[in-house]
Amino acid sequence: MEQEVAIVDAVQTRHGSALKENIREIMFSTVRQLLNRVGIEKSEIGTMVSSSSDYWQGISCSNSYYYDAAGANLKSGSKAAEDSALGFHYGAMRILSGHYKTVLVTSITKCSEAPPVDTLTHLATDPFFQRPVGLNETISTALQAKAYLHRFELNEEDLAGVPIKNLANAQNNPNAHRKGVLSLDDVLASPTMASPLREIDVPNTSDGACAILLATKEVAKDLTKRPVFVQGLGWNVSETFLGDRDLLNGSLPKAAKMAYKMANIEKPLDDIDVAEICDTTSFNEILWTEQLGFCAPGKGTDLLKDGITSMGGALPVNPSGGLFGANPYVARGLIRIAEIALQLKGEGEKRQVPDAKRGLAHSVHGLGGQLHSVVVLGV
Amino acid sequence: MTQAVAIIGTGQTECGKRDDVSYPELIHEAVRRAFEASGLEAEDIEAVVSGSMPPAMEGVANPHLYWVDAMGAANKPLIRTATCGSTGMSLAHTCFYHVASGLFDLVMVIGAEKMYEGDPQGTMATVADPFFQRPFLAGAPGIFSLQSNEWAHRYGLEEKRVRMAAAQLSVRNHNDALLNPYAHIKVKTTVEDVLASRVIAYPVRMLDVCPGSDGACALIMASEKMVKKLGIKTPAWVRGIGYCGEEAFFGEGDKVVWQSAINAAKGAYKQAGISNPRKELDVAEVYNPFTFQEMLFYECFGFCDFGKACELVEQEVVMKGGDLPCDPSGGTLCTNPIGATGLQRTAEIVLQVTKKAGERQIPGAKTGLAHAMGGLDQFNGVMIISNTLQ
Repeated sequence: MEQEVAIVDAVQTRHGSALKENIREIMFSTVRQLLNRVGIEKSEIGTMVSSSSDYWQGISCSNSYYYDAAGANLKSGSKAAEDSALGFHYGAMRILSGHYKTVLVTSITKCSEAPPVDTLTHLATDPFFQRPVGLNETISTALQAKAYLHRFELNEEDLAGVPIKNLANAQNNPNAHRKGVLSLDDVLASPTMASPLREIDVPNTSDGACAILLATKEVAKDLTKRPVFVQGLGWNVSETFLGDRDLLNGSLPKAAKMAYKMANIEKPLDDIDVAEICDTTSFNEILWTEQLGFCAPGKGTDLLKDGITSMGGALPVNPSGGLFGANPYVARGLIRIAEIALQLKGEGEKRQVPDAKRGLAHSVHGLGGQLHSVVVLGV
Repeated sequence: MTQAVAIIGTGQTECGKRDDVSYPELIHEAVRRAFEASGLEAEDIEAVVSGSMPPAMEGVANPHLYWVDAMGAANKPLIRTATCGSTGMSLAHTCFYHVASGLFDLVMVIGAEKMYEGDPQGTMATVADPFFQRPFLAGAPGIFSLQSNEWAHRYGLEEKRVRMAAAQLSVRNHNDALLNPYAHIKVKTTVEDVLASRVIAYPVRMLDVCPGSDGACALIMASEKMVKKLGIKTPAWVRGIGYCGEEAFFGEGDKVVWQSAINAAKGAYKQAGISNPRKELDVAEVYNPFTFQEMLFYECFGFCDFGKACELVEQEVVMKGGDLPCDPSGGTLCTNPIGATGLQRTAEIVLQVTKKAGERQIPGAKTGLAHAMGGLDQFNGVMIISNTLQ
């Protein structure tokens, strides 16, 4: 892909555990802020692709509720449901088609108004086989983590560094609402949620929104001094049933392969300067770094322990604090992309990775990491 | 990179109360038929798009992930698109952009609904915002009857005349559905039956309103180079697409001179180079969950002037043998698995322009319009399909 699509700018909310404004108000103020920053009017926006979830919003056809608030009244628009990174892919395809010069990509989730993750992800299971046994996201991940620790002869302590790193990173992110300094003892003292996962391993949910303006290369250069180019796009889904898959080798390597091929990346660890990964649990950050090809299978804990994924390391992962800092479920994928755009624009302030030229944003939803998305951005 | 897009295969299920199959089995039925129609297999498909109405309709939160195996989508890129009643058309558009972008050359799209497994009107009431509209919204008919009354009132149309035109459309749709093997409601009816059927929400009567159905529809889209490579003899080319959405609150927009419907059609006509739709279109599948609303769309799509839609019915322009026959499939009025409905409109136009519509074939149909509408009268999407690329 010849850098035909660029991010002009991105805006996020100050995420929180319970934002006061309603969904329409948050969507409106986020998009307004983005348009003000770029210095254009909504009449100049070609089309809008949003991402939300009916179950997580408690409103069916969830995009109908905020469509006009997102600046799309009397415009063309669509929705890529459940994971906002997929909305980003769709927005990019609308530009690549030649039909539009600018695309607004938006996403919002107010988890404070929704039931708990495990209630909703339990409702995502099929009604015949998986639902009767009580499967949900946490239990699926615990099964996956058990298999991982068993296959590579590791123990729970090997996973403990992730919340410590990410909550420390979140201290540098003004949009994060969970942050702090943890010790290894703090992590190991956390009560078990679903063995081997402890409560502290599973990031709580948040309220938050994100909006990104995409444009053709030419238009982006007119609108910003620092366009960030879309170099690679990849997404991929696994089989429905956990038992039909190798839980430690799913669809992520395939999504990464697609994106890396487009971006001409052969050695991800060398070729990528910064990554934002959906750390759905402590364990998952480690598994996802392996499946993204940053290291060999089973070596993700070494990557963490050697400080390679820490700030100052060769490939910092989640300078924003990741989902440990804020986890507005459906919006989190777009936020990962916005964070990488920020890094590549050199606007990361206290969380800036020096000289970041190319970055990767990852997102995932579905039990055991069923549908993964990879976006490679560069300047 | 931008490339032309063709539809090279359609697969539809029989619709109705399909308690003989599970939801994934229903999906698989449509997918298998699309493969049979195109001579392709799951391995050939590069990416998949799927969608449905609100997942609360069937009670599974992520239907796209539930359907993966049934769609043959495992280890492929997958996106779920959902935009209420217009989902089927939004799905067709999402699939179109996958190919038009140049990222993919062969993409499958699937829409489905299994409405007998849930409470459709209850689910649809949750489309309304929880503060202002939901407290008094009684499912879908309420909204559309308000719109129908507003339309008749705006143009001073005589009640008797409007009801008669609506009844004629109902009879036309029910007769056409008898010839469509995939249609749900198959009953012989008369104008007198329609006029005498019980009121659901005035002026909408039982035979003016669509059912809720179980059903699925799949399409396969291909790039121009893939059409050549596969040697497809009768591709249906996507010549134009248009979509428009408007305010969340029903009361904030004019639903008679309906801007989202007008814009969606205009956008598609512009791409397709159509300046006189009445003359240049040979057939149209207008989304018609309610007979009255179909007439309003004729006006917004430029088939006639505003306030003149009854004439199109009275002069039989929109009937078989007329200038612009509409809904030869029997339409949404007789079959409505909502997430699939817009794709069924598209599939019917594909079958018509490629002369594969069997008993319900409109002779000489070369170019057609497919349409779907959704939200609380909020979204409209259109696709123009032709048997030639130019």
